[in-house]
Amino acid sequence: MTQPSPTSGGASSDRTGRFVTQPNGHVTPLSPHMGIWRWHVTMAASILFRATVIAATVGALIVVAWLGALAFGPDAYATALATAGSPLGLFVGFGLTVVLFSFILNGTRHTINDTGNGLTIKSSTILSRIAVWAPVPLAILFWVVLFAVGRVSL
Amino acid sequence: MSGQVKGNGPRFKNNVKISERHGAGEWLAERVLLVVVLPLGLWVASTAFTLAGAGYDAVQDWFANRLNAGLLALTAVVFFGYVSVAWKVILEDYVPQPGTRKALVALLNLVFLVLAAASVFFIVRMALGSAPLPAGFGA
Repeated sequence: MTQPSPTSGGASSDRTGRFVTQPNGHVTPLSPHMGIWRWHVTMAASILFRATVIAATVGALIVVAWLGALAFGPDAYATALATAGSPLGLFVGFGLTVVLFSFILNGTRHTINDTGNGLTIKSSTILSRIAVWAPVPLAILFWVVLFAVGRVSL
Repeated sequence: MSGQVKGNGPRFKNNVKISERHGAGEWLAERVLLVVVLPLGLWVASTAFTLAGAGYDAVQDWFANRLNAGLLALTAVVFFGYVSVAWKVILEDYVPQPGTRKALVALLNLVFLVLAAASVFFIVRMALGSAPLPAGFGA
């Protein structure tokens, strides 16, 4: 099995002059850096997923605290529920639902792209736009319904 | 890790970087864990909706259902497994010093292990209807 030459169609048609020779002799484009890469929504989706993983880790800490409050009994849980129901608690709760929906949608985009699908310019742009923007309306809808059915109130 | 400057560069076998030979396993683990976490994430969203604002008794009833408790424990273990690999990738990109990076990866792995264990511990106690903590621990 012959490997495709990494130089074909690359360095020869290089309009950026930013190709580098790797230690193993392959000539590849320099990895994208903020300074030389044209902005595109796929880039935003990519870095947002990292931010989402970090935010989801913080969210998981809050969930473990919630589990701990439950295990410590009704009094501790009442304190946790009052904190979650306070204006700041509701604000954080809203943020956590944004993070959750972002994690699901952006993780799905990541998985689709990782399996080699959705990588045309059009489809990757659509997937990235969904992953970047859809979590916000979904989270708003989630909380509007929660308030509407009376589960949560201010 | 040798102290020689020349010994610290990437090593090669048949002109392929050694890390390129085993790096795929870690990548695949991250992808597989994410594929498991995603449907559980949807379930977490529906659970959050169900339990939002619920009183202690209602939450206790929810945990008494073994499917709920089991799925939540599974979510905790798989999620912390996933973020463990994901954080390693992030640190590898942004922390250039090998010593600091390895220390941070080890520290975060320990933190995630403790969090996963604490989650399962709390979930099991709720599922079994155990007396509120610190019952059984000297109180």
